[in-house]
Amino acid sequence: MINITLEINGEERELCVPAARTMLDALRNDLNLTGTKNACNQGVCGACTVLLDGTAVNACLVLAANIAGRKIVTIEGLGEGGRLSPMQQAFVDTGAIQCGFCMSGMIVSATAFLTENPKPSRHEIRAGLSGNLCRCSGYVRVIDAVILASERMGA
Amino acid sequence: MEFYQPETIEQALALLAADPAAMPLAGGATLVAMLNAELVEPSALISLAGIEELSAVEAMADGTLWLGAMISHADLATEERLSGGHSVLRQAAAQIAHPSVRNIGTLGGAVAHGDPSSDLPAALVAADAVIKMASPTGKRSIAAGEFFEDYLTTVLAEGEMVTAVGLPRLPENAVGHYEKFARVHGDYATLSVALILAMKGGECSYVSVALGSAGAKPVRVPEAEARLLGSALDGAAVQDAAQLLSEASDPVDDVRGSAEYRLMLLPRLLQRALNVAVACAP
Repeated sequence: MINITLEINGEERELCVPAARTMLDALRNDLNLTGTKNACNQGVCGACTVLLDGTAVNACLVLAANIAGRKIVTIEGLGEGGRLSPMQQAFVDTGAIQCGFCMSGMIVSATAFLTENPKPSRHEIRAGLSGNLCRCSGYVRVIDAVILASERMGA
Repeated sequence: MEFYQPETIEQALALLAADPAAMPLAGGATLVAMLNAELVEPSALISLAGIEELSAVEAMADGTLWLGAMISHADLATEERLSGGHSVLRQAAAQIAHPSVRNIGTLGGAVAHGDPSSDLPAALVAADAVIKMASPTGKRSIAAGEFFEDYLTTVLAEGEMVTAVGLPRLPENAVGHYEKFARVHGDYATLSVALILAMKGGECSYVSVALGSAGAKPVRVPEAEARLLGSALDGAAVQDAAQLLSEASDPVDDVRGSAEYRLMLLPRLLQRALNVAVACAP
């Protein structure tokens, strides 16, 4: 077992994990942060996307033991003071959610994407979120949501 | 399973030598997915994340650009020193999977994995890249064209590690282009063409072509390049080159396309790649 300390959603947390424990399992099972979803466990679907030092990564492909001292932000950590983040609010306002399972990953990916590209085209959003699958196939309103967030954040 | 975080290449090699069932962990984009699927069961993981020299980019006086094995695909995709013909590598990296995977996966990991359907091997072979390796008995370098041997099989010996990739100088006026055909954005290529091209007076003065997803390793055919070199890249020359490449290809039938379909794509993708490169060429 490996002892590590890392910052999760602004809070320092200590973990004792086996070598092969993914960040995804650590978040869900050790830290009870179940907003990050486990679907493919292969880095294909994007449901487990979190921010690692500000960049989007698949938590299922990152070993917890390998990221000691680094900063993780999950869907639970995007908002501040009980308020939704602008991206979360935009997803709510456009009704981008169907079953909702992929939404944590979508919103985290979209948050990282907009940081790099604050005024994206619809085409760029499609490419930027191509690693996040929605099996309800509800992609159109997701793109609407990112456009709305982009407009609000730029205003 | 043990977990080690060495700080130097020598420490990593010593750990590898001490335990033949241990595996080096680069970014994890492939290895952790394989662990999750229980396809591999190493006795220990040796993380390379803490070895600073593996993340270096170094431009040598002779024009060679050395890229450390732990450089991520995302960093490769934005590396400005990959200019001219070397931009083929930048473009290939930018088309690997998705942003969240590109932030994790590494150059050295992709090289050592040796998947002929992945994007970097073909680009590296086209660029005449040199793969630098280290083992407890010393260092060696080998051309990318000889490094990849078969599906997921390379010349890497037990206890040996990829440490860097060298890109030799290309003609000043060369341009690079990576043409990838995939079913959906971010998928593995059904077929890809890595191209480096230079034109002079309307004629092709330098060309290098390697195919991805066309066989057990990147496909490169000197005769096909010889047919294009010195030509105006007219229809007949391109057709002949595509035919030669096709004869050397041995793609598989899988969910991304039948072997027959891939070979039908080949001349069209080659033409498309040449069109883009010619349009960009100075």
